[in-house]
Amino acid sequence: MSIPDFQRNYFELFDLPLTFTLDQAKLGERYRQLQRELHPDRYAGASAHEQRLAVQYSSLINEAYAALRKPLPRALYLLETAGMSGEAVAAQPMDGGFLMQQMELREKLEEMDDLVDPETALDHLITEIGEDVAVLQDQFSTAYAGGDMSTAASACVKMQYLDKLLREAEQLESRLID
Amino acid sequence: MALLQIAEPGQSPLPHQVKRAVGIDLGTTNSLVATMRGGRATVLPDENGEVMLPSVVNYSSDSEPLVGADAVALGSQSPADTLMSIKRFMGRGSADAAQDAQRSHYRLAEGDEGMVRFITSGGEVSPVEVSADILRVLGQRAVATLGGDIDGAVITVPAYFDEAQRQATKDAATLAGLRVMRLMNEPTAAAVAYGLDSAEQGVIAVYDLGGGTFDISILRLQRGVFEVLATGGDTALGGDDLDGALANWVLQESGSPTLKAGQYRQLQAAARAAKERLSDELEVDIDLQGVLPAGGSLRVTREIFESLIQPLVKRTLRACRKCLRDAELDVDVDNIVMVGGSTRVPLVREAVGDFFKRTPLIDIDPDQVVAVGAAIQADILVGNRPEGDLLLLDVIPLSLGIETMGGLVEKIVPRNTTIPVSRAQEFTTFKDGQTALAVHILQGEREMVSDCRSLAHFELRGIPAMVAGAARIQVKFQVDADGLLNVSAREEITGAQASITVKPSFGLSDEEIAGMLQASFSHAAEDMQARQLAEERLGAWQLLEGLKSALKADGEALLSTEEHEAISGQMTELQALVEGQDADAIHAQTEKLGRLSEAFASRRMDKSIRAALAGVSLDSLDDEVTQ
Repeated sequence: MSIPDFQRNYFELFDLPLTFTLDQAKLGERYRQLQRELHPDRYAGASAHEQRLAVQYSSLINEAYAALRKPLPRALYLLETAGMSGEAVAAQPMDGGFLMQQMELREKLEEMDDLVDPETALDHLITEIGEDVAVLQDQFSTAYAGGDMSTAASACVKMQYLDKLLREAEQLESRLID
Repeated sequence: MALLQIAEPGQSPLPHQVKRAVGIDLGTTNSLVATMRGGRATVLPDENGEVMLPSVVNYSSDSEPLVGADAVALGSQSPADTLMSIKRFMGRGSADAAQDAQRSHYRLAEGDEGMVRFITSGGEVSPVEVSADILRVLGQRAVATLGGDIDGAVITVPAYFDEAQRQATKDAATLAGLRVMRLMNEPTAAAVAYGLDSAEQGVIAVYDLGGGTFDISILRLQRGVFEVLATGGDTALGGDDLDGALANWVLQESGSPTLKAGQYRQLQAAARAAKERLSDELEVDIDLQGVLPAGGSLRVTREIFESLIQPLVKRTLRACRKCLRDAELDVDVDNIVMVGGSTRVPLVREAVGDFFKRTPLIDIDPDQVVAVGAAIQADILVGNRPEGDLLLLDVIPLSLGIETMGGLVEKIVPRNTTIPVSRAQEFTTFKDGQTALAVHILQGEREMVSDCRSLAHFELRGIPAMVAGAARIQVKFQVDADGLLNVSAREEITGAQASITVKPSFGLSDEEIAGMLQASFSHAAEDMQARQLAEERLGAWQLLEGLKSALKADGEALLSTEEHEAISGQMTELQALVEGQDADAIHAQTEKLGRLSEAFASRRMDKSIRAALAGVSLDSLDDEVTQ
């Protein structure tokens, strides 16, 4: 039995160049095209074997799409294809300035509940984090394109920190709304 | 338009014939069945012309269960025997359901493994059995209208239904003798109903205020592919609560009299009627004669009603805001589809319109839109549209994970992940010499095991004794297109394996279902044989038809002469058997041919993928896709 070559990396699967900045429209288009061919619904009347294959392939395509669609998982995946495991990325040394800044942001978030107008303050904080993330994404993109994996990995770890903070901020926002 | 061929019940349909597929909306308050007729999806009426079947069943000692309007009529007379809003109890444990049951004046039995059972004069019944009785009536309606057995059904469930509730729904359909091709999320079905009619591109929000649940889903439609971006809602909020708010107000205004079981039902019905009339009128009088001890009537204005339901409507909008954020949209919603009778309430429409800054779509009856969408999907899945002009990419509503140290839940598949999906995560042993690992599977968003829903337990044994942390155990979650889960665990070094198909303890085991089916068929063994023969023939035809077109398209390119001959030979044998009466022989030969053609199927799949990867246009490929 010949199995389609899903060993190829996700970028090849979607016919995209191996870069951090990617054509979202094309990614979505390719994704839907592949699902049109391989989704289990297309094999609803087929043999059990074909149905099983369809579930597996369709799952793989979903997995690949999820890995590339958003910047952070995409950055991690790019590092992984370059031979850096998640542990190796996490082990990157952090500069003190960034950690200080993180602590300040975190304190702001924790004190949010006591403010008179927490919603506006939270809005500002979320925007601030968003701007920092954009800067880090640029750093990652440049470093990765230039083959500087340790700088790329360090930008990626910082993106992880901020992503976590952003999610906590959004949780607080939900609590405030409710 | 092709004329429907009428086949005798029990006879297998002929190849190339339009297959009979139905979509069923199994609702909290009402249920409907729809099918494609003359190129349009339409809901099927009963002999009195009613399309909505009240989801109410009466179990008495002296007759068969009564379903629908006949049961409703007995509601106030024998409340404990007349089960309504039963969907709220699907897949729930006794402890979980006790409060709701008390409110509804049902008597609960102590069920096995925590499953809810109601005590009625007609015996003990579970929510699954009650739902099966409702589904059976709809199935019979479809058979009578379409003139033959149903080849397959799509049953809708609230998007927010968890694993146990989905499994319970599937069990009910199986018990009712329906072949479930797919469980479909209600909001997705509603979007499909509109999507095909208007061939829209863009982002659609579906606001679904059903009888007992509220769902919100955000979907993107692009070139015939529906992608669910996010889904959310509130399982404990529905149209019934709007009625309840009004009923409670009536009670308060009347000096809070004590009501008997049947009277609260009547009051709720009166409140529902008033709610419906208030959609067109500014004030109505609620007739309380025979409803409250004091009788009389009470005037309620739309303004009062709106102030009563305002907090509930606000709760739905909070869920909408959360869902929009989950969808991570960078654009506005283009359309809002309204589902459920309660979306006729003017305040609901206005509030939703204001929130999304769009006028909601109401062209399709909000009570029927889900069944209509399910019928369209059923038609596609049964194979009546070889070109398959629509594809649904749905998501799981709740996160799936396993228990780790300290009673914490490690999420493996987060909610709103597109299905089917398979995710693996590596774990290790935490004690020296540990040879077994208990895997506890959970569903929910909270961090603690105690706050999540427990789905299943299983054990991986045979791990060789090693120091703590040396074993590498991969736990893999596979969620299929129905949103149902299969979990396997494997120790990488030795290859020791264990797996489980998650069957929540609140559903029924396969043996229980088989037993119940057996019981319901025991009087009609011949019927069962006829059904089995029909099913085997249908399976055989499907395989033969699929292979015929596959051989025509790819036989020469992908098979050697010997392989081609072997498959053709076995096909001829199956063809001959299908004409006969031996169901077992048909089954065996179908299996044999299926196995023989597996490699061919894989090669064809491979080819499809390569073609898709090479960017060949879809139109030219559609002709080649199997079925």
